[in-house]
Amino acid sequence: MAQSFQQDCVELLGRRLAQGEISRRAWLAGLAALGAPAGLAQAQAGRPLVMVNWGGLANDGFGRFYGAPFTAANPGLAVTQDSTGPSAGRIRSMVESGRVTWDLCDSSASSAYLLGGMNLLTKMDYGIIDRTKVIGPGFALEYGAAPYSFSSVLAYDSSKFPTAPTSWADFWDLRRFPGQRLLRRDALGTLDAAMMSLGRAPDQVYPIDTRAALRRVAEIRRNTVFWSSGSESEQFLRTGEAVMGQIWHTRATVLNRESNGRIKFIWNQGLLQAGIFVIPRGNPGGANAQRLLGAMLANAEAQVGLLGLLGNGPTNPAAAAQVPAELKANNPTDPANERQQVVLNGQWWGANYQQANQDYLDTITG
Amino acid sequence: MMRREAGWYALLLPAFLLLSVFYVTPILQVLAISFLEPSPGFSNYERIGTNLSVQRVIITTLRICSITTVLALLLGYALSYTITLASERARRWWLLCVLVPLWISVLVRAFAWVTLLRRQGLINQTLQGAGVISEPLELVWNEFGIIVGMVHYMVPYAVLPMLASMREIEPRLLAAARGMGASRGQVFARVFLPLSMPGVVAAGVLVFIFSLGFYITPAILGGGKTLMVAEWISLQILDLIRWGLGTMMATLLVVTILVTLAVFSRVVNMRRLFGGA
Repeated sequence: MAQSFQQDCVELLGRRLAQGEISRRAWLAGLAALGAPAGLAQAQAGRPLVMVNWGGLANDGFGRFYGAPFTAANPGLAVTQDSTGPSAGRIRSMVESGRVTWDLCDSSASSAYLLGGMNLLTKMDYGIIDRTKVIGPGFALEYGAAPYSFSSVLAYDSSKFPTAPTSWADFWDLRRFPGQRLLRRDALGTLDAAMMSLGRAPDQVYPIDTRAALRRVAEIRRNTVFWSSGSESEQFLRTGEAVMGQIWHTRATVLNRESNGRIKFIWNQGLLQAGIFVIPRGNPGGANAQRLLGAMLANAEAQVGLLGLLGNGPTNPAAAAQVPAELKANNPTDPANERQQVVLNGQWWGANYQQANQDYLDTITG
Repeated sequence: MMRREAGWYALLLPAFLLLSVFYVTPILQVLAISFLEPSPGFSNYERIGTNLSVQRVIITTLRICSITTVLALLLGYALSYTITLASERARRWWLLCVLVPLWISVLVRAFAWVTLLRRQGLINQTLQGAGVISEPLELVWNEFGIIVGMVHYMVPYAVLPMLASMREIEPRLLAAARGMGASRGQVFARVFLPLSMPGVVAAGVLVFIFSLGFYITPAILGGGKTLMVAEWISLQILDLIRWGLGTMMATLLVVTILVTLAVFSRVVNMRRLFGGA
């Protein structure tokens, strides 16, 4: 299974802590950033809410900083952590078994549409969650909402090219920019870039012409390696196995800092994505899960904290102005950066992910 | 006499019930999905004949596993032969060297191969430094890399059954053949090799079956460009949520393994293969 973005963030954060780049306090504050709830309604006492993360440090950090403040604001309502990794398949398995134990799962836009369409998720209650607290419609969906954002950007080794690549068209141009390419082993975000490389205007990427995009991927397949986890993507660029790649901006930021600017990335035509949380249908905590998610969306200050620590972009419209100057360059939702990117269309992907990704896998393994 | 045997079987009953309730039943339930989803019937199985993606993953897996088996048997045979003929003291060292890799995590071994085989890895840098090649060889992120990793993993599994079988060969038979005028080559080809064949077949079955389910090694060394069945099934179940297709492939894998075992159990002594007396 491909590693998810959230899983990768947790890993990245843990490494920074381990390398002493950040203090333990900063680490915990960052993990808290997604979810310190403010002004919650008094919740009735009941069984604990179960938040599902992708393991590692999130398990401790989310427990202490998602769970503890929530419990403080809502006496009698504890939050426990589960690090199983809420993949779409696992959520389906749990809901269909009829014994749901999860309340809030770190998921994705495409899974929200896919699972929502299969009647496996609870609809967002926008009476409880304030949908004006996000920067765009793609961040508050029918079946999920996003307290953070991330982007799939073009990163490259600047020592290998006299002129810098500026677009996906350059990425596909092996003659002007020779060298191994790096793409995610997942169609999501990749086919979107392929469409732009074919000259589709950024505001007309959707609907994706899957056939044309797949043919485009096939063109460079032999000169490309494919990553499935964030650390793998970083490693490919760091060790020179690839000289240009489409990777998550959090990893690109790390590489940029670590290589003293030799490995660069551009926001232009990056694919801005929503870090969507979903609530499985029949979750035991009921509406309390909505309250917790609503608080995560509303807390701009905490979202900025997370940006400083890990690079996850805030989704609260008030957050960008609070970002310290030195962090603005790495914030995907900074107005100057956001303008250059394309918001990934979760709805198109929700409807087409299964077939498009299978075809993509067939194309790259062909 | 009958009564006493029935008593022994009764002792097995708790373990049997435990396994069938908590192990076999859930597996059968999962495999049953392949007949129920997306619609009841054999539609998932029809895809073996019609769907290029399904066919490709099957063919890729069979190809990689066959090559791995052949190479592991060749290397394993040479090793077993050497160990059989070695002195008692040398034999102990040889065995240790064969067994040590078994205790190293498959993950560690895959990453070790990456460090050796990548473009700026040890092998390419050495060859480039020596002026043998000008461009790095593509040793990894392809099937070659996967096979290197898998053969490395499988050689000990090939050695052990073959070694057991070779050590049962009566040395006096070889001496007799020599005494009757056979050359060294003839002794090997006409006496030693035929007598060691049961071990070779057993090792081949073991290595092949083991290879079919490989997940980590191809995932790390394949560079995302090669999918074998295990990873393919995982993608269908967890990411693509096409459970009917995923469980169909799982069923196919289980059936293939059982059929392979059934066929070869007529040829070789399976008890010896799995460590029995």
